[in-house]
Amino acid sequence: MDKINDRQKLIRSILYWGLPVLAVLLIAFGWVMFSGQHPELMPTPAEVWERLIKTFTKPIAKTSLVGHAWASLRRVLLALFVAWAFGISFGILIGWNKKARAFFGSIFEVIRPIPPIAWIPIIIMWFGIGEFPKILLVFIGTFVPLVINTSTGIEMVDKINIDVGKIFGGNNRQILKDIVIPTALPSIFAGIRTSVSSGWTTVLAAEMLGAKEGLGSLVTKGWQGSDLALVLVSVITIAIIGAILSVILQKLEKVVCPWND
Amino acid sequence: MAADKKTLEAGLASWKKQKKNEGIKYIFLSAAGILSVLIIWQLVVMVGLVDEKMLPAPTKILDTLLFKVGNKAPDGNMLLVNIIASLQVALSGFLVAIVVGVPLGLLMGWWTYADRFIRPIFELVRPVPPIAWIPLVVVWMGVGLKAKALIIFFTAFVPCVINSYTGIKLTDQTLINVSRTFGASNFEIFRKVGIPSSLPMVFAGIRVAIGNSWSTLVAAEMLAASAGLGYMIQIGRTVARPDIVIVGMVVIGAIGAILSMFLSKAEKYFLRWKINR
Repeated sequence: MDKINDRQKLIRSILYWGLPVLAVLLIAFGWVMFSGQHPELMPTPAEVWERLIKTFTKPIAKTSLVGHAWASLRRVLLALFVAWAFGISFGILIGWNKKARAFFGSIFEVIRPIPPIAWIPIIIMWFGIGEFPKILLVFIGTFVPLVINTSTGIEMVDKINIDVGKIFGGNNRQILKDIVIPTALPSIFAGIRTSVSSGWTTVLAAEMLGAKEGLGSLVTKGWQGSDLALVLVSVITIAIIGAILSVILQKLEKVVCPWND
Repeated sequence: MAADKKTLEAGLASWKKQKKNEGIKYIFLSAAGILSVLIIWQLVVMVGLVDEKMLPAPTKILDTLLFKVGNKAPDGNMLLVNIIASLQVALSGFLVAIVVGVPLGLLMGWWTYADRFIRPIFELVRPVPPIAWIPLVVVWMGVGLKAKALIIFFTAFVPCVINSYTGIKLTDQTLINVSRTFGASNFEIFRKVGIPSSLPMVFAGIRVAIGNSWSTLVAAEMLAASAGLGYMIQIGRTVARPDIVIVGMVVIGAIGAILSMFLSKAEKYFLRWKINR
């Protein structure tokens, strides 16, 4: 009886740890096979590695890969700081004040469904392809999720909590500061998380359509120069940075709102 | 006693009236918000504070919109043709993503081994922004419907999987235990308890997916296409026609809003059993 159980346990743990390894191996094997048969469609892993090293020995547009990554990150961070300040305050305003909600909320609702990427052509027409238009684009892309999450969070605050605040003689500002905003914090933080990933996507789109430096411009450069290895190097870098950003935010969320799981 | 009832009813009526008046006031305020933006925009252009070649007045936008309905200039397609081209791409990628992504997420959430096998593959694809796939997909498959639908698929697939996975993981353990006590098989519990209880989350994922699809579509069409709304605004930029660009943006926004409205209706229909409870 015990023997059978032991064997079952063994098979289970082999499956449990073996399956993920098998999946990764399958992908690696598929990549090697596909790139071996169609070198024009997909560079081999070795080629991508060599290309990665070449970005440091022979910088593109006088900037190394790290420099390009920093250029993209800097744009996103700048836009994010502005968007956090404006988006969260605007969200609180239209979530708390019904008149402001009716007046400004309607304007916001009209602009909201336009995807940030659809702003690119008009913003390039207005401001060219310098630094400001890109930051503006990322701002637009990050502003919307912030406002939506913040205002929904504020509206969802239980009426009872507000009434208790009133009974204990709190004025409007105190209720907002001590009851409503802390209650809405998880929702606001969800908005911050969405804003980061949305900003990271938008900056790439903005850079792919015209930029001298940045990871998005590397993608376009590799694409136009039929240098697929460079495209892959940039895409992998983009993915890694995106993943790191979301891990950082997850950790931060545990610090800012520990009661939220 | 009767008098009490009367005063109460009168009070209720006046309260209802007050609420109704408040509602009307807010509707007026909403309209005032949008109207004031439009009026300021029109005035700024008419007075000449901004160049009309950069920002055409709302009346001009309306003219161009009506013009585009029946004319092919400057991008080579009538507005309706562009709309249909875009919808075709977005919806085909979106539908395939639902058909593949939702069952996959449910499977991963219910059976551990499926989770262990699929998760590493999924985690490799997930952090890549869909726009970054465009060059690779274009090299592999050209710029046709299939290529663009594949890019849309990538963007809609991820929220479908994540939400279905989380939704079915959140199934109430009590419900599962009750079913087990009554002798249901694992698959039966999955079908009759797991799936229904995951539906609200699944729908939330689908709603994210349609938004993603529509915005990625614009990017895909701007980078590689010969028709569609994204293509239209891109051409509008190259021929310096801001009115075409803004018309395109307005149409893109309107269709995006309509799509998400349809989805909320569908959600209400499929989840009517839950709302009634």
